[in-house]
Amino acid sequence: MAPIQSLARTAPGAARGPRRRRFVRALPYLAPAALLYAYFLAYPMIDAVRLSFFEWSGFRTESPAFVGLENYVRILTKDPVFWTALTNSVIWVVLSLVVPMMISLLLALALNRRMIGRNLFRSVFYMPAVFASITVASIWRWIYNPTLGLLNETLRTVGLEDWAQQWLGNPDIALYSIFAASVWQGVGFGMILFLAGLQQVPPEQVDAARVDGAGGWQVFRHVSMPALKPTTVVVIILTMINSLKVFDLVVGMTGGGPAQSTQVLALWTYTQSFSNHNFGQGSAVATVLLVISLFLVVPYLMWSMRSDKE
Amino acid sequence: MVTRRIKVKAVGVIAALGILTACGTSPDGVPEGKGTTQLVVWMPASDSEAQEAAVDTMVNGFEKANPDVTVTVEERQTDPHKQALRQIVGTDSGPDIYWYWEGLGLGGELVDVGLSQDLTEYYDEYGWADRFTNPALAGVTQYGGYHGVPFGQQAMALYYNKDLFAQAGISAEPTTYDELIAANDKLVAAGITPIEFGGTVNWHIMRLLDSLLETECGAETNTALATGKASWAEEPCVDAAYTELATWGEKYLNDGYFGMSNSDSSQLFFSGDAAMAFEGTWFDAEVTDSGLDPENVGIFAFPTGSDRLSAFGEALYINAASEKKDVAAKFLDFVTSDDIQAETVGSSGAISVNKNVEPGTENPLNQLWSPIFGGASGVYGPSDQNLPLDLTTEYWRVQNSVLTGDIAPDKAGDAMQEFVDNQ
Amino acid sequence: MTQIAITPPGRAGSTSGFPRRRKKPRDYVGIGLWVALLISAVAWFVPFAFMFLTSVKSKADINQLPVWSLPTTWEWSNFVGAVETGNLWVTAGNSLVVSLIKVPLGLLIAAAAAFALARFRFRRHRLLLGLFAVGSMVPVQIALGPLFNTMLSLNLLDSKFGLILPYLAFGVPYQIFMMYGFFRAIPDELEESSAIDGASTFRFFWQICLPLAKPALAALFILDFVATWNEYAIAATLLQNQSNWTIPVAVQGFNTQYTTDYGGLNAFIIMSAVPVLIVYLMFQRYFAQGAFSGAVKG
Repeated sequence: MAPIQSLARTAPGAARGPRRRRFVRALPYLAPAALLYAYFLAYPMIDAVRLSFFEWSGFRTESPAFVGLENYVRILTKDPVFWTALTNSVIWVVLSLVVPMMISLLLALALNRRMIGRNLFRSVFYMPAVFASITVASIWRWIYNPTLGLLNETLRTVGLEDWAQQWLGNPDIALYSIFAASVWQGVGFGMILFLAGLQQVPPEQVDAARVDGAGGWQVFRHVSMPALKPTTVVVIILTMINSLKVFDLVVGMTGGGPAQSTQVLALWTYTQSFSNHNFGQGSAVATVLLVISLFLVVPYLMWSMRSDKE
Repeated sequence: MVTRRIKVKAVGVIAALGILTACGTSPDGVPEGKGTTQLVVWMPASDSEAQEAAVDTMVNGFEKANPDVTVTVEERQTDPHKQALRQIVGTDSGPDIYWYWEGLGLGGELVDVGLSQDLTEYYDEYGWADRFTNPALAGVTQYGGYHGVPFGQQAMALYYNKDLFAQAGISAEPTTYDELIAANDKLVAAGITPIEFGGTVNWHIMRLLDSLLETECGAETNTALATGKASWAEEPCVDAAYTELATWGEKYLNDGYFGMSNSDSSQLFFSGDAAMAFEGTWFDAEVTDSGLDPENVGIFAFPTGSDRLSAFGEALYINAASEKKDVAAKFLDFVTSDDIQAETVGSSGAISVNKNVEPGTENPLNQLWSPIFGGASGVYGPSDQNLPLDLTTEYWRVQNSVLTGDIAPDKAGDAMQEFVDNQ
Repeated sequence: MTQIAITPPGRAGSTSGFPRRRKKPRDYVGIGLWVALLISAVAWFVPFAFMFLTSVKSKADINQLPVWSLPTTWEWSNFVGAVETGNLWVTAGNSLVVSLIKVPLGLLIAAAAAFALARFRFRRHRLLLGLFAVGSMVPVQIALGPLFNTMLSLNLLDSKFGLILPYLAFGVPYQIFMMYGFFRAIPDELEESSAIDGASTFRFFWQICLPLAKPALAALFILDFVATWNEYAIAATLLQNQSNWTIPVAVQGFNTQYTTDYGGLNAFIIMSAVPVLIVYLMFQRYFAQGAFSGAVKG
């Protein structure tokens, strides 16, 4: 039990004492997390970047051979699937920002009001998020089954058989079919975030606006929306990050096909490394994905932490 | 006080992690009972009940004869099976025995990375060199020494639905490529899908392309292409083959083939929605299991015009990392023995690898293979067994791109050659 | 892993209107909205209904009957068969062991680290926090190849206990990030008074901070349990033998292997999701109450 010391900068409790020693005393609390993080997360990520400069089959019995930037040249010039994967990832990010986010916001606004069965509604929209993505993929693969699946069968029953498609077999629409499944799964999560954000909207301001004669839309525009800004930023960032992480859905529904038309970056790096036994190129794709992710994440973190400054 | 508490906590966490680590260290991850040896075998999953039954016969028979051994069979679909095996190379997590195709591209790949145990001493011990047919032995000696014990000998040809052929007015089995195309056209005219393929498993359509290359290029050039002695970009027959492939994709394949697996597309053949299937000797059992009347099914070789039959072998290999090689060898001796082979012949192929065993008679389709085997003077294997893995991947990519239209047929050969040159 | 930001409970409760001063006309907009919501909710629920309907149909029914018709016989045997085919008990057991060990342990480790960053305030603690956060937001597929090799060299491949280590590594950073703001917000006076009472830092952490963090811990518990149970990529890479599979890997195995057993597949999916649904339903009042208030500051 050390006495409370007063320093030039008084700080209570754990934070007392010279800063150098604070770190030492914090270490036992910090160590487990830091060690796990360093060894099982940071080190593999850095190693992936390192491997991108080597050529390696991945078999333990063969050793990597240094090839410099050759893997990057190859993925940029000789690997058409890389460009497909990159394009698809970008499409996915953009679509995710438009479609599910809008729906989430609308749902949150609607379900913010008092109404019968509100909790039931909220649960129904959130429930798909509770299922594993790989499970959602299985469910929707069955829905999209060309002969027996729900979608085509229903279309045929109502006489719209011309609209029946090879949802997962047609290279032109397969990606969007998978995207529809991700919307079904993901909308609930954004809705919850927006709902939480709406709780932050100060009721007095809403009341004041109403007293001033503002209608619903104006209340939204001038009171709710500004108050929602921080939440919106978070939702945008999380949506973008989760878009880049798309993996399970594609694996479960098409495996990247047909003819690699639904490949995305996260899956292509895995395919190159583990299926094609080309760890060098797989790591190069992984590094590209890492760089893109950092571009999104780091500015957000710096902004978020700066607003936390004391 | 503070420090003591923290120390206790730290020790606790470290101990917890230590226990976790210790618990995790088990060689093959599968629990063993006391006193019994467990043999783990990895096989690809089969769509046929007859084949599953054959495996059961082998496993149960061996366990009965060796009560201190339990055999665990793990099954995966073809591609996950390949991937799982490649993944455990150099680790302790693999099986004791694995089933695999032969050929330099597939079986040879795992031999090169050291997964397969050279079995020369067991061949001597059990006298296997005298048990198997010559083609079967050729398959296991091609890597030097002995790798794997022959397990299956498969050939591939076109299965067809006799009723649908009659409906389309096709009176005789096509014996030339032109006749085959004419038959396709007649089927299309009658509103019948000529042939079914599952595009998600690249190796299914690969069979078609392989046969088209054999047809257009002939045996010699085709072999030269596969061994790198001829140029894909310069042989005009290559362009012709890819052009034919594009035509088949446009006119003769089932709707939506690209999005379905071979298991899904086979259903079309079984339900009479497609007239032909390009399958192999293992398919006999699947046909009878599906309920299709075998009298209504015919088989003819793909009319390539060369004398070679599309065929390949399969073997059971012993994992070099296994600690139970002797027991594994005993199991392999058991399943290829005269008795067991006689019991299970016909389930996974028309003929047995064991030369003392007659071809199966239970499945009427097995008889249809005799003239096909007899009419061939050589074999050409599927590309994924002949070519190294990365070239196979490119082969498939080019094949699929021609079908989707992303690569023009006359540019496909150039793409292949470019890849070969860049190796 | 799913992400959500939490701060101590602030303003709860929905936006309510001011007291009515006069009788309002019929709220057509409200009714219309409710109907639209109902239709949307039904549409959202349809896949579940379809899944259930398929799981109780026989193969013949699936192939021949129209899609929305009720089954001729209720094939509960699909469920029994699926348990056997997909090895449900073993894989569910694996998933359960992994989740029950990893989730509490991870929360403890994360809370300790968040406490260290928030209360000790050593130099560059914000940098460390940022590093943790970055790691949690980057796709795990980047690290899968080297992770495979790392686990291999530790001889922990193909082991459900070994799986826990990377799970902790990938789940903890984000929890730290979330709990940091929480611990930061604990007033200094509380710490001072606990020190005056003679409590060590550890006592302060264990007996005051953690209980205060209960809402956040509970919410993170649910999210982490669900995320751990549902994790696929790392499990599929590290687990080889089928007896070591976790549920998501088993679902995918079922999906690719028994492609035409639609009844069994759907039955398996339903059964595999039951534990997660139970956990969710048990704790979903936190969602309903709006315990997640604010999603802003880290």
